Amino acid sequence: MSIVEFRKVTKRFGQLLVLDEVDLAIEEKEVVVLIGPSGSGKSTLLRCINALETINGGDLIVDRISVRESRQKVRLIRQEAGMVFQQFNLFPQMTALENVAFGPHRVRGLSRLEAREQALVMLAKVGLGDRVHHYPSELSGGQQQRVAIARALAVKPKLMLFDEPTSALDPELRHEVLRVMQALAEEGMTMIVVTHEMAFARKVGTRLIFMEGGKIAVDGQPKNLLDNPQNPRLKEFLQHVA
Amino acid sequence: MDFEWSVVVDALPALFKGAQLTVLITLAGLVGGLVVGTVAGLMRAYGGALMNTIAFAYVELIRGTPIVVQVMFIYFALPTLADIRVNPMTAAITAIIVNAGAYIAEIVRGAFLSVHQGLREAGLALGLPTWKVLLYIIGPVAFRRMIPPLGNQFIVSLKDTSLFIVIGVGELTRQGQEIMAANFRAVEVWSAVAIFYLIMTGTLTLILRITEKRMRIL
Repeated sequence: MSIVEFRKVTKRFGQLLVLDEVDLAIEEKEVVVLIGPSGSGKSTLLRCINALETINGGDLIVDRISVRESRQKVRLIRQEAGMVFQQFNLFPQMTALENVAFGPHRVRGLSRLEAREQALVMLAKVGLGDRVHHYPSELSGGQQQRVAIARALAVKPKLMLFDEPTSALDPELRHEVLRVMQALAEEGMTMIVVTHEMAFARKVGTRLIFMEGGKIAVDGQPKNLLDNPQNPRLKEFLQHVA
Repeated sequence: MDFEWSVVVDALPALFKGAQLTVLITLAGLVGGLVVGTVAGLMRAYGGALMNTIAFAYVELIRGTPIVVQVMFIYFALPTLADIRVNPMTAAITAIIVNAGAYIAEIVRGAFLSVHQGLREAGLALGLPTWKVLLYIIGPVAFRRMIPPLGNQFIVSLKDTSLFIVIGVGELTRQGQEIMAANFRAVEVWSAVAIFYLIMTGTLTLILRITEKRMRIL
């Protein structure tokens, strides 16, 4: 059973068709890299998986639960699908530690103490063991994004969704985030990553999907596709991002 | 003219009594107003069409009419209209609750809606229900942004209590009026009354300053 399964999923914003009958199955432990020109629907596709966007047609099953189920069921999906945002979206009134302990405490129902313990482990894992009492405003962009990854991981999700996690970062800060993501992939985490980082796609990705006009245009091995793109639009796209 | 300090000294006990009532009406009214305003503001910001309309109608009705008319309505019209009889104090406190509530509703709505949408998404993405996202994530950020406009409203409401002179509540302005009527020392009496108000609003400002310092606005 696939962990994520799109069945003819359609998504519209008013008149605009953003996802056009998308079929897609993602298995556990896959690291799927989603690329495509802006407006191709890649971020929307990602946001449909944890129901931050509601689909207009078809069905989408995540961890055996449909996103069209009750709100309560959708919350179960969200607990299993951790999300990392382009703009980090850390809770500004909380320290790094409080940000990461928040999920285990409020979502998983752990005691404050247990949640803190777990948060400390997660922050150490993303290399921020020495920044736990800093507020987001006191951290660099790369550090903030690593806290955001720790926050999502602390809820112990089965898969992780990354929505352009390095696009808001300076080039020299990107690698620290990408390194954490690579380590996560090596541990066997199922990951779906919207990104423009082709080096990451080549090195870490197990599957590359190129979207265009709300459809999956190309789907295959990252190395093959990046070294020898057959699809003319993908070829053109890669020339622009490389 | 000579400023007769003895007039002020003689007036002090009565003015203190009036100031106590003013503080009591303001405190009770603002506590109630905060509750009403928070509920109405959240209905406006997040409620469905019906909730939104109800809250909108309430805000418009109150903002569109003077507080003197509102308190007169509660005190003089309600007994005839619905056979609800209230004493002047209750009418005064109710008027502040209802009036401040409408303005606070807009403050609450504005503050919650000003919080970056990404925070709400981040909370939802963790698997929290919306009410918990509002309570634990958006609320604390919004509250910090509410402090300056709430301070404004608290001061306005405190001074609005002076209008309850029209229903005969013995608050500070009413006390001043009564002393004035007896001794005709307008300068001394109204100066003293003004200073009493300044001390009260000054204290409020100080409390708000301290709160603001302790909670960084985010």
